[in-house]
Formats: sequence, C-alpha cells, structure tokens
Amino acid sequence: MTAKYRPRRITLRDGREVTLRAIVEADATEIVQAFERLSAQSRYYRFMEHKKQLNEAALQRGVHPRPGRDFVFVATIPAPDTIDIVGAAQYVQAGDAADRTCEFAVTVAEDWRGSGLATQLVASLVRRARRDGYKTMEGLVIAENTAMLALARKLKFKREPVLGDATVLRVQRALQTLRCASRQRSAP
Amino acid sequence: MEAIWLKHYPAGIPAEVDVHQFASLRDMLLCSRQRFGQLPAYSNMGSSMTYAELDRSSRDFAAYLQTTLGLRKGDRVAIMMPNLLQYPVVLFGVLRAGLVVVNVNPQYTVPELEHQLADSGAAAIVVLENFAHTLQEVLEKRPTLNLAVITTEVGDMLPVVKELLTNVVVKYVKHMVPAWKIAGATEFNTALRAGRGQDVQDVPLSHDDMAFLQYTGGTTGVAKGAVLTHGNLVANVQQMTAWMARDLVEGKEVFVCPLPLYHVYALTSCLVFMKMGAHTVLVTNPKDMKAYIHDLRKYPFTIIIGVNTLYRALLDAPEFAEVDTRALKLTSAGGMAVQRVVAERWKQRTGVDIIEGYGLTETSPVVMASPLDIAQWTGTIGLPIPSTQAAILDDDGHELASGEVGEICIRGPQVMPRYWNRPDETEKVFTQDGWLRTGDMGFEDERGYFRITDRKKDMIVVSGFKVFPNQIEDVVALHPGVAEVAAIGEPDERSGEVVKIVVVKKDPELTEQALLEHCRQHLTSYKMPKIVEFRTEPLPKSNIGKILRRELRKAAATPDAASPPIPSA
Repeated sequence: MTAKYRPRRITLRDGREVTLRAIVEADATEIVQAFERLSAQSRYYRFMEHKKQLNEAALQRGVHPRPGRDFVFVATIPAPDTIDIVGAAQYVQAGDAADRTCEFAVTVAEDWRGSGLATQLVASLVRRARRDGYKTMEGLVIAENTAMLALARKLKFKREPVLGDATVLRVQRALQTLRCASRQRSAP
Repeated sequence: MEAIWLKHYPAGIPAEVDVHQFASLRDMLLCSRQRFGQLPAYSNMGSSMTYAELDRSSRDFAAYLQTTLGLRKGDRVAIMMPNLLQYPVVLFGVLRAGLVVVNVNPQYTVPELEHQLADSGAAAIVVLENFAHTLQEVLEKRPTLNLAVITTEVGDMLPVVKELLTNVVVKYVKHMVPAWKIAGATEFNTALRAGRGQDVQDVPLSHDDMAFLQYTGGTTGVAKGAVLTHGNLVANVQQMTAWMARDLVEGKEVFVCPLPLYHVYALTSCLVFMKMGAHTVLVTNPKDMKAYIHDLRKYPFTIIIGVNTLYRALLDAPEFAEVDTRALKLTSAGGMAVQRVVAERWKQRTGVDIIEGYGLTETSPVVMASPLDIAQWTGTIGLPIPSTQAAILDDDGHELASGEVGEICIRGPQVMPRYWNRPDETEKVFTQDGWLRTGDMGFEDERGYFRITDRKKDMIVVSGFKVFPNQIEDVVALHPGVAEVAAIGEPDERSGEVVKIVVVKKDPELTEQALLEHCRQHLTSYKMPKIVEFRTEPLPKSNIGKILRRELRKAAATPDAASPPIPSA
C-alpha cells in the first residue's frame, strides 16, 4: 500500500491558489463537470478523439486508482457546490509490471492555462511515480500541442517520434531512484 | 542558412522579385484595364467580358457596396458561387471598394456556412440563387447575423436573351434552384444598376491592408480565417509570374480555369494571368466532362491548371482525344501531389510537363514549384520560388541539415500575417524567428529540392481539398447510434486519399446508409466518408486512454484484416 498523499495548497504564478490532492471516489461528479467545461480542443488533446462524454467504466477506473500502480492528482478550488476541479494529472502502469514504466496525462481547465498549474501537476506526478518504484514515465502528445511539448521539455522529458504517425510524439523521462525515496515526502 | 536551391534555378529566374510593382490588387486590375482594355478578360458559358467591361461592372458593384450598403474599408463581403462571370466582377468590386473578400464554398452545409459568416463577421454576401436555401436556413437559425444579401442567377451576366433562357432553364427545367425566400435580398443586376450612377471613393490601399479572409480547417477545433493582405497576393502573383511566364506573351494567352475561384490556388492563378492580359475561360463544373471538353475544344488554350484528379479524368475521357492541345504552353497543378503515371500520360498526350506547385492557404498559396525545365517527374514538391525562404526545423525551431527530416517552414512576402481573431492559433503556427510551420514533414535534398515524407497535421487530402478528421468525427459522433468514431485517410487511385470512418456502434441497428445520410446533413460532398468500417471492439487506445491512430491505419493497410472495409456508393 502506498503512502497517502497529504493535500497541499499551492500558489500559482498569477497569484491564484489551488489545492493539490489525490483523487477520491467522491470526485466522480466533479470530474464529469470539469470534463463538460473543457473545450473540444482540450478533449482532443487528452483523448485524441472527439469525446462527447466520459465513459462510465473509464470514470470509475479514474476515481479508483490501483494503489502502487496508478495515481491521480486533482487541483481543486472552492466553489458554491463544495469544489471545482480545475486540473488533473494521472499515470497508469504501462506494459508489464516488470517494465516499471507508466504513462501519464494532464489536463488543465481553459482559464487556468498559463498559470504554471500543469507544470506543478506533472512535477508532482514525476515525484509520485518515482516513489511508486517506476523507472520510466512516458506520454503521447499531439504534435501540434506546443504548450504541452514545452512543458515536457522543461521537466526534462525527451521527445521521440512515434513510428508511422507524425501527428503524435512520445515524451519520455527516466525516474532516477532517490536515496531514501520511500520515506521522503516530496518538498512542497 | 544557405539557399542551395538558388544554384539550381533555371536560367533567367531571379532570386528576388519586385513585390512593390503594385500597391494593391486594385492597382493591378486598373493596370490591366489600361493595357488590355478591349481584350477578353473572362469567358464562361459561351459569353465573354473584356477587361474594360470587367472594370466597369466591378466599379459599379464597388459603388453599390460603398454607397447603397454603406460599407467601410475593412468590412467583409462573402462570395458564395461557382465559377461564373459574376465572380470576378464581385471579387474586384469588393477589393476596389477597400473591402475584404470571404470566399465561401457554395456546397457548404448550414453549420459550415453559419460558422464562416459568424466568424468573419461578414456585412454582406453575394450568393448564387441555387444555394440561397442554405443561406436562408442560416439566417433563420441566427437572426443576429446582420447581413446584406445580394442574390444572383446563373445567367445574370449573359446577353439578355441568353440570360432569360439560361435562368429559366436552370430554374424551371433543370430544377436546380431549391425554393428559398430571404426578406430584403437584392438582385445582383439591381445592385449593379444602383451602383452605376454613383461615385466610387478611392479608398487608400497598401500592402498591409486585408484583401481576403481565406478559411482553412484545423486539426482540432473549427475552421479559421487566414488573413491574406494585398501585399501577400501581389507578392505571390509576382513570384509565380517570375517562375512560369518564360514562354508566355502578354495579351495573347488563353487560360482555362476549371478549379473553383473560392480555392486560393485558382484565385491566385487567375490574378497572375490577368496581370498578363490573358483571356481566362472559367469552367463552372469540370465534373460535367461534356461541357468541360466543349470549352477545351472551343478555345485554343495555352495555359491550364488543375489537380491530379482532374487531369486524370481528362486523360480517361474518350472525347479528350478530339481536343487540340497544340497551342498549350503551360500546365500547372496544385493542391495534391501529381501521380507519376498522370504526369507521364499528360506529357505524352500534350507534349507539356505538369509544373507542380506546393503551398498552403496561409501562403497565398505558392511557396515551392517544380521548374519549367524539369526533365522528368521528380516526386518532390520542387524548389522554393523567388523571394521565399524555406528551412527544415525541429520541434524547438532549430534548423536541420540537408537530408534530415523535420518540419518544412516558410518565410516570405506571401506568408499571411495572422489568423483572423485567433492570436492563440497564430502564435502556434509561427516560430519565434517568424517561420511559418507548414505541418508537413520532409527534407531538403542536396540540390535544394524539398520532399514531403509525412504530415504532422492530422489531415486527409481529397482531390486537393483538405479534410480534417476532427470535423468528420464531430459530425459522426453526433449520431445517437455511435459510441466511438475515428476518421482516417485511405489511399485512393482517383482522389489521392478518401475519408474512411471506423465506427463502434452504440445502437446495434445502426446502418451505414443511415449514418451517411446523417453525415450528408452536415458535410460538404468532398468531406463525405467513402468507406465505413464497423467494429465491435473499442477503438485501440493507449493505457491511459488515448486513441492510437497508427493502429487504425495499420489495420486499414492490411488487406485481410478481420473486418474488411465496406465500400459505399
């Protein structure tokens, strides 16, 4: 069982504050609402298809990450109906367990772009995946998604072509094991 | 960066052209009027109009737009019609009034037209009656669109007797005009008469002023307008002239234009040959092979443009054997790659090579072309034309060496300044050094020829028209019986590529016919899926749920895949 993640408040570049925490089952409704607020382009960047609605099975998998294998961060803000989710990042195990590779994805609400939130989310993912014992983190990015490619570069992901499909790029980085990683909480 | 290509230019082609010869397209037209006034400028359906007549009619229309409609410099005017004599009249009327042309594909469906009118903020539209019903629906759906409507009939620019006859035949015999009713619409000829007695204000126009809002699709999201300025178009006219005009004589050429003027390649080609005083034969519907060949037999043409699909169709038509091509000097093609077999058959039949141009809506459009003195089909997209810089850049904007594959990027006076009201898209398409990213992956060889290897933009090119999978998927997904869909390009002998959709049903009763019927309500014919494949398994996805298009394409390329594609009518 992986250690719990303690929610933390972070202040973004533009001064706005969000709470970063692990997803919980009760977030399902908010995830659906957050998805509905996304533009067609954001949805396409995340799923690489035109998704009208979140599929129930996928939603349930999302709010029930398998401990030690998958992880989902959500960034929340207070809202009249409790909270709103303004960003989410997740990784899931890719390939065989022996590969120690995970695939990640990140999505940020339209009006939270450019605030550094996506960077915070992915940086947190990287630290978390390392603690889960993953050696490599990778992701698929639409080649035109320049914002995501710039983010990946900043966080030391290497970029490589996907054979037979120039519309997509694979980004990948090694997750070096830190000394005492298992007990060290990532610095805020 | 070394411009290696300059060393391989044919003799006499300059490295730079004078883009300042004309301050605007209006100046260019007025210059042609002065020099070639009594020569035929355009012909269509057996009738012709001289440069002086074009000048007069476009002046009248400009006066109508300025005075009766009260339009001001920079206002947008949409044109929605196929190639007819009215097209150049309206086009130049709009430009010389200091207004901006928004070219609209007349086959557009209601949602497509609605988006373009709303996004461009058009103040007026000139529409052929045959398509007025689409406009009517848009206006009913969006009463807030504040649009002056001018309607024209097919025969409006023909001599009186022919006009009446043509309009009656089109309307009542061939039933080509679906019923429509738009309150307050003005007839084109009424507008021309209204403009006749009025003055045209000489609006100052310079290179930076907008001339066209030319719409182009996007990999994600809706179509966006490329802002093309007078300077962009004047530059491309000068560049293309320098490249192609070697054997052409001013005031003597006959140019056949079977491509629609709303397509930027046909548009700029027409401007090039107008500047030279050529006689342009506008072909309204090249799919009507009988009428097309009739035109080819009637006019001793010296220049012809087209796309691979059209040349192929001509070569395959038995009647083409009777067409005299001895006067032909120049054949050019754009929009899609010309197949080797088509290039060779054309050369054999006419003795003339097909000169291929490469470009984008965003570049007015030509940036590269094969030289006139090519010895054989090259399979490349050619050399950068004069005053054009090209480079292969990596994703970070660094230049790659000759032979390395990266994104083809362009700088030059023909490159648009921006997208209309889309600073986000504009920022994405330009590098910090001002290179326009084409979305095409390729490399430059040791002689400076560029070759395309792949596309970074997810896009399907059907007979030279770009189709963006996202739009198709959006439409298909609207059908309640569809659980999942992906649109991909499938290689095709005739069209280069056709649209294929891979569909996972939600409703097991869903049929291909019902789905295509649904698509027809939303998509122009060239965007229609030609192959429908139903799958029972979910579409292939990565662990985190991203669709793997390469897997879909791979499956499509295997002839004995589990569920063979079903060709549709």
